[in-house]
Amino acid sequence: MTTFSGGCQCGAIRFRVSGDIKDSSICHCRMCQKAFGAYYAPLVSVRGADFEWTRGERKRFRSSNFVERGFCGDCGTPLTYEAPDGMAIAAGAFDDPSAFPPVIQFGIEGKIGFVDHLHELPGHRTEEDAQAAPFLLELVSYQHPDHETQAWPPKELR
Amino acid sequence: MTAESDRSGGCQCGAVRYRAKGELGYPHLCHCRMCQKAAGNYFMPLAAAMRRDFTLTRGEPKWFQSSDLVRRGFCGDCGTPLFYDIPDTDFINLTLGSLDDPDAVKPVMQSNTGQKMSWFHALDGLPIEPQPETPDRENAIAASNHQHPDHDTKSWPLGESS
Repeated sequence: MTTFSGGCQCGAIRFRVSGDIKDSSICHCRMCQKAFGAYYAPLVSVRGADFEWTRGERKRFRSSNFVERGFCGDCGTPLTYEAPDGMAIAAGAFDDPSAFPPVIQFGIEGKIGFVDHLHELPGHRTEEDAQAAPFLLELVSYQHPDHETQAWPPKELR
Repeated sequence: MTAESDRSGGCQCGAVRYRAKGELGYPHLCHCRMCQKAAGNYFMPLAAAMRRDFTLTRGEPKWFQSSDLVRRGFCGDCGTPLFYDIPDTDFINLTLGSLDDPDAVKPVMQSNTGQKMSWFHALDGLPIEPQPETPDRENAIAASNHQHPDHDTKSWPLGESS
C-alpha cells in the first residue's frame, strides 16, 4: 500500500494518506472556481483510504449546507472539499500531485471556454523568466518542502 | 457606471472584494511549484493590475510571505487565493479564478513549464461525468449556496440589510 503526504504552502497543516487512491477529478463549477481562485478545482478523493492530519488544524468555510471547504488559516492554501459522502483533497497540496492524474471532469456547466486550449499556449521555463526578472535567481523560498519534516516552522524562521 | 474593462472580483465568501480599472497585464498560467502548492492546484492563473488602478472594495486579505520578495494574499475567512504581490512594484497580480467573470480574461502564456504536470496537455480529453439521475443534491446546494455572488454587493455578510 502506498503512502502519500502533503500540506499547505507554509507547512502549518500537513496530512498523510495511505490506500488505493484512484478517484482524481477536476471540477469546473463556479463554486470550485471561486474557492480555488482558479479555472477549476482538482480534487483527489480519500474516501475509504487511511487518512490522517499530521500537523495543525485546517480552517473550514461552509460553502453550502452540504459542503465545507478546508484551508490553511496561515497561508490560505485550499486543502479539502468535505461532503457528507466523504472528503477530497486539493491535488496541488499533495507533495507529488503528478501521482494523481485526473480521470474525469465534473461541473462542466461552469467550464470556461478557453480551458481546453490552455496547454497550447506558448511556455517558458523558470531559467528563461529569470532573464526578465533577475530576482528569481536569488529567490529563497519560505514554502514548506515537499516531504514531511520534524518541526514547524523551520528553525531559521522561528 | 464603470468602463467595460473594469474588473471586479473577490473570495468565495465575499469578505474580501476588489476592483481593477483598465486591462489586466500578461494573463498567464504559472506552473511553478510554489504557485501549485499555494493554489492547491496544477497551476495558478494570474494577471497584473496596475496598483494605482487597483482598489480593495471590501475587507483586507491575509498575507503569507512565501519568499523575501513575494507575498501571497488570501481570504482569512474562506481561504480563496487572491493575490501574488511583489510590494516594490507598481502592479499587483490577481488570481484569475477570483474574478467575477474569469471567462473575460484569456491567458496568453504559460510560465515555469519545467514543473508543469506531465499530463497537463491531456486534461481536455477527460471524460465528462453524466448528469445525475436525481438533481436533489445539486438543487439543495444551489438553494443554500453561501458563496458571494459574482458582482459587488452593498453589504456583507449577505442578508444583513442587503
